[in-house]
Amino acid sequence: MKCIVTGGNVKVLGRAVHSLSRIGDELYLEPTESGLSLRAVNSSRSAFASFLFAPLFFQLYEPGGRQPDRELVRCKVLMKSFLGVFRSLPSLEKTVGKCLILLKPRANRLVVQLHCKYGVTKTHNLAFQECELLQAVFDTQRCASTLCAPARLLAEAVVHFPQTLAEVTLGAGPGGKISLRNYVEDEAVPSKTMVTELRLADDEFQTVAVTPGSRITFCLKEFRGLLTFAEASNLPLTIHYDTPGKPVVFTLEDTVLEVHLVLATLLDPESDLQPPTANGVSHVPTPSDDFADDLESYMIAMETSAYEDGPSGVPPSPTFPLRTPRPAESDPEEEEEEGAVPGTPPHKKFRSLFFGSVLTPGGPGPAPTQEVLAEDSDGEN
Amino acid sequence: MPLSAQPASSAEPYVLAASLDNARHLSSLLRAVHFQDHATCFATANGLRVTVEDAKCIQANAFIQAEIFQEYTVQEESVTFRINLSVLLDCLTIFGTSSLPGTSTALRMCYRGYGYPLMLLLEEGGVVTVCKINTQEPDELLDFDFCSTKVVNKIILQSEGLREAFAELDMTSEVLQITMSPDKPYFRLSTFGNAGSAHLDYPRDSDLMEAFHCNQTQTNRYKISLLKPSTKALALSCKVSIRTDAQGFLSLQYMIRNEDGQICFVEYYCCPDEDITEAEL
Amino acid sequence: MRFRAKIVDLACLNHFSRVINTIAKLAKTCTLRLTVSKLYFILSDKVANGGVSMWCELCQGNFFDEFQMEGVAAEHNEIYLELVPDNLSRALRTAQSAKAVKIKLTNKHCPCLRVAVELPSLSSSSRIVTHDIPVGIIPRRLWNDFREPSVPDFDVSIYLPVLKTMKSIVERMKNLSNSIVIEANLSGEMNLKIETDLVSITTHFKDLGNPAWASEDGCQSSAQNRDLESMAEARIDIKKLQQLLAGQQVNPTKALCNIVSKRIVHFILLHEDVSLQYYIPALA
Repeated sequence: MKCIVTGGNVKVLGRAVHSLSRIGDELYLEPTESGLSLRAVNSSRSAFASFLFAPLFFQLYEPGGRQPDRELVRCKVLMKSFLGVFRSLPSLEKTVGKCLILLKPRANRLVVQLHCKYGVTKTHNLAFQECELLQAVFDTQRCASTLCAPARLLAEAVVHFPQTLAEVTLGAGPGGKISLRNYVEDEAVPSKTMVTELRLADDEFQTVAVTPGSRITFCLKEFRGLLTFAEASNLPLTIHYDTPGKPVVFTLEDTVLEVHLVLATLLDPESDLQPPTANGVSHVPTPSDDFADDLESYMIAMETSAYEDGPSGVPPSPTFPLRTPRPAESDPEEEEEEGAVPGTPPHKKFRSLFFGSVLTPGGPGPAPTQEVLAEDSDGEN
Repeated sequence: MPLSAQPASSAEPYVLAASLDNARHLSSLLRAVHFQDHATCFATANGLRVTVEDAKCIQANAFIQAEIFQEYTVQEESVTFRINLSVLLDCLTIFGTSSLPGTSTALRMCYRGYGYPLMLLLEEGGVVTVCKINTQEPDELLDFDFCSTKVVNKIILQSEGLREAFAELDMTSEVLQITMSPDKPYFRLSTFGNAGSAHLDYPRDSDLMEAFHCNQTQTNRYKISLLKPSTKALALSCKVSIRTDAQGFLSLQYMIRNEDGQICFVEYYCCPDEDITEAEL
Repeated sequence: MRFRAKIVDLACLNHFSRVINTIAKLAKTCTLRLTVSKLYFILSDKVANGGVSMWCELCQGNFFDEFQMEGVAAEHNEIYLELVPDNLSRALRTAQSAKAVKIKLTNKHCPCLRVAVELPSLSSSSRIVTHDIPVGIIPRRLWNDFREPSVPDFDVSIYLPVLKTMKSIVERMKNLSNSIVIEANLSGEMNLKIETDLVSITTHFKDLGNPAWASEDGCQSSAQNRDLESMAEARIDIKKLQQLLAGQQVNPTKALCNIVSKRIVHFILLHEDVSLQYYIPALA
């Protein structure tokens, strides 16, 4: 793979990396014929982002590089080291005229070269690992609710919440009002926590097609990261969501750029769409308590269901069939987890951001419900 | 009150007495060498030198020539004492680090000799601060014996060109490798960190390059943790001269222009870290 | 018990925000006392706080366009609330361009001070942000704990120098010492001193002026027969002093301090209708 980015696009690339660095510790690079895709997923697999830069974004774009078989090599690098190349955005703008990205599979090096003012060149030789596809499968068409707004509106909305706030609840209220509110954990003492709620009229949005009364809760940190990018790029942001527990998808589109951020949402015990909860703990609303095991071991189980072998139909929900890179499989901890998958319920209750509920021990196996992170290999139909 | 209490006559018992209209001229230079708590002050008729060392490998010197001071007298051939630099800097900046335009802190500094404290009298807007800072026995200092006749390679760069490079140094790398050569890559800074290597190349015809005198290709490594503090001097300076001798000793000379346009120098000397056994590309 | 108030004027809102920011910097939790004409923010003298206490008083009429309150009873027409001032400060932080800010006492799930901010928007309707700040209602039997401290029988009362200069000096001194000696006389002179094994520093201020206190009942007698040159001094926790100097955002038109030798330093910052009093006890 070889590509060259010039002028203002270097900064766009830099901002994308900053945004992705809010998500995960590793950056996945996938050169494809339709462009270069940069992706990241967080460690609990509850957040995924992808930035697809179309070939036109580049001055030169050769996904296959000069390899004879033109086999496309996917790789991942440490986020920290890639971010190091683009650390200072103001100086990128001031000094860098051209950026060359070169994947050298033989030398096992990802070379990022910045051509700066005064003829100075910075060459970063980064170690990478080859990896398989990192893909979250989601279908924004199947989301019941869609909102589209200028990034600035949403950026001005989130300033009302403290930087330390973990989650925010987005809701569609009566009269078409869209609200944002800080999520207060069950455990928090209500008499100690300030509750902030912001209401926006629907005419501030470009599109409002939401299920009345719907609301979802998601992590603010990653969303802020995307907003910074969207605001700087002056792009409208579209939010696709469904019922609580199903991922929310944020999208940005441009002629040369396509951005997706997929975030887990909390199961909402108060929502009408969910059955009442027992003991303040929400359980997965299925006859059989299928969310038996630890989320992570569940994730590992899902790796065996290959993306390509998945259901031919549209996936039932935004899901993440993840195929983690081979080197990771040698990780002893993960192996242990994997070994623990069949029928070994973990002792502890596991509260996942993705499921938003406390998972109690029970039977193993993927759940047929919507709240899955990884795609159900058997499909729904 | 205290200022006038000290008669400025020649009969005063001080071995060192100096005054300065703007204490910031001194404090900003001292901040450029402030990477250890302690410093050794060495005053001669030419001026004041403040030396800071670390790990027997690095030495930083701030030079404040006698002309910078409005009044400067040394009664002995040389006056030497050791002082806590952090305390000295807090005292010098007692009225704030960024004074308003039109106001400045006036300074009078006196020292009676061995065993006595360093006295500072600072005045700004009619408010007077008197400081007595205890002094200690001076340290034995390193002698780098770095003389210009033994210099092998020398480059003078505009500091601007190095500032970002030093600010973004990959600190996971143990060393900073400096290559100076009459041929390509001319001048190269390299790091070898957890994430991989990075090279920064400056062509000899770059506008940043004020002078380029390289006689032979030299590649030396220096502990990055020891060089990092020089970033403070870099930030203040307009030009930097980078020199190496045959043993690979490094001299970084920073030319610093103060608010009044006067030129001062800060110099860092550093020992090479090790011989390079294999060439890294 | 009812309370509702509204600020429309931007200058008033910003002034009010600065007062609240100051309170938030000086106290983690405090008592808000509401009367028909005034608001008080009170930090009472607790050992856990290092014995520091605070009394801040403002006239509602100078800030609020509407102000209605009804206390527990007609003869005790006051409300005492306990709150975290930082919450109020945070709520006002993003209200700088507000068209209006309403504050009201509500009791939905728990007693709350609801701050509703109306912000301009790109559309015809405004953006509304509401902050529900949890408060505790302080019962009447405890009200006596929050009475205004009397001005101490001081030895010296003196105007403070420019606070910015004093702040810078105290900040440097704080790097070097845990305590500071503050001394002053009736000739307008004040010194700030620290002394450690490494260094001793004294800053001398002069021509500060000594305020004239009316001695109605002769209770300020200590200062009256005093030698004008002799210094009254107190050693106090330097962090507490630094907190006051760094935290204050009221930009007082008058600032003064009263020193009771070896017992207490009493600071008074006045800005038009706002007064902030701060008491720092002397160290042993």
